[in-house]
Amino acid sequence: MIQFQKVLKRYPDGFEALHDVNFSLKRGEMAFLTGHSGAGKSTLLKLIMLMERASAGSITVGSQDLTTLPRRQIPYFRRHIGVVFQNHRLLFDRSVFDNVALPLEISGMTQRDIGLRVRAALDKVGLLSKEKLSPIQLSGGEQQRVGIARAVVNKPPILLADEPTGNLDPALSEEIMKLFMQFNQVGVTVLIASHDLALIHPLHYRVIELHKGTIKAGVRHG
Amino acid sequence: MAEAPKASGARPAEKSHFLKHYVENHQKVAKTTFFQIVKQPLTSLFTCFVIGVALVLPVLLSVLLNNLATINQHWDGSPQITLLLKKGVPSLDAGMLAKEIGKKQSIASSHFIDKESALNDFKQRFEFKEAIEFLDENPLPHVIIVRLHPEIHQLETIKQLRDSLVSLPEVDSAILDAVWVQRLQSITLLVERAVWVIATILSLTVILVLGNTVRLAIENRKEEIVVVKLVGGTDAFVRRPFLYMGLFYGLGSSIVAWCLSHWVIYLLNEPIQTLASSYQLDFSLSGLSFLSTLFLLIFGLTLGWLSAWLAVRKHLDDIEPG
Repeated sequence: MIQFQKVLKRYPDGFEALHDVNFSLKRGEMAFLTGHSGAGKSTLLKLIMLMERASAGSITVGSQDLTTLPRRQIPYFRRHIGVVFQNHRLLFDRSVFDNVALPLEISGMTQRDIGLRVRAALDKVGLLSKEKLSPIQLSGGEQQRVGIARAVVNKPPILLADEPTGNLDPALSEEIMKLFMQFNQVGVTVLIASHDLALIHPLHYRVIELHKGTIKAGVRHG
Repeated sequence: MAEAPKASGARPAEKSHFLKHYVENHQKVAKTTFFQIVKQPLTSLFTCFVIGVALVLPVLLSVLLNNLATINQHWDGSPQITLLLKKGVPSLDAGMLAKEIGKKQSIASSHFIDKESALNDFKQRFEFKEAIEFLDENPLPHVIIVRLHPEIHQLETIKQLRDSLVSLPEVDSAILDAVWVQRLQSITLLVERAVWVIATILSLTVILVLGNTVRLAIENRKEEIVVVKLVGGTDAFVRRPFLYMGLFYGLGSSIVAWCLSHWVIYLLNEPIQTLASSYQLDFSLSGLSFLSTLFLLIFGLTLGWLSAWLAVRKHLDDIEPG
């Protein structure tokens, strides 16, 4: 589903965020991406999202070769990938419902279908009763769950998460991880960047460890 | 998620809804943008006033232009041609000729002045008396004064008439009293040119002011733009609310300009009527016609859209998640 071959990412200032990165993730697989801060976790996710372009090497997502994807096509490509951010990036000028509805509005769906889908996604993360509230009225854990609902409302085949539990206490973090596992069980390919080893090791999923921009040997499989 | 996600993207049923959704989305964006503008009534009104004031000047000048055209048509003093006849044309023939000319279609009246009576007329004026007594013979020609129909106000037509009168065998030369026609036409031309120059300069001002307003709106909504792009929003989708914003400001400004220009016309009308009556003219300023109002609206909308489009092109496409 996701394949990196000899990927190099060098920023204009000469800093090499990633070099010689090779790995692949099968359809329906779930994996954790670990490493110290600055090891290149976020850069790797950004390359999959096409927020950044690789300087060399090739990246394939689904059947799409990202090195040849024209800029115009990027929005349509992104609709197949759900992303959860550490700071969840919710919009505080609109309700929880409207936040989750955003990807559907964009992809061209009628209001009736949007209503059904958004409520299904909110139900999944346990926030159906709070659809009319503003995200600012929710707790940190709830805000992150809204972010997850927004990432999956489009039913994307791939779900990426960048430190999704970074600001949460262990109990809430575990809840969030369980949600990701549930999505994986229905066939979604999931890749989660996290440095919280205590949280991810007991879960027995594959761990890809980045060290100074490259994948460390001895990848542990769960 | 009850069903497994597919990699294929939009399903056929969703695709068939594309047009419906497109219209729905435009309605929603228009509504949301409108309420965003209304939510800050003072700021929005101020913006509309700034642009409205900029639009008022060209609007008023074009009103003036329309009214000048009306004056042109309703001018009471009709143009006048003075025909000087050749020496040796008998007085009787000259009088006959005057009558004949008076019968022509485009001529309102003709008046024959005999050269003897003209000389007597001169003699009655003190300063000429002595000079004339030195002369052996009457130096004055017979004169026919021709007044044209008041509807004839095109300088070209008047000149053609003059030329046809000069070609008559009895006529030596003609003096065309058309200074006012020329003046009015030059003034009209000047105002016309001024309207275009001022409208162009002020349009640029409007584009800068509105462009800046839209730029600020883009800055304020940077986070939203990034999120929309991250979840797959196309450039067109991201631009849409800002383009609607430009349209609404353009509309608001046109309405402000319309109201202001009617207010100014109302203020000017009384002194203008007083002035006109001193010239024996029954004249009052007419306001914007239906067509001019429509033109003002379309002009405002176009200018609003254009400013937003330029601002969006310059600032929005630079905002990329990363």
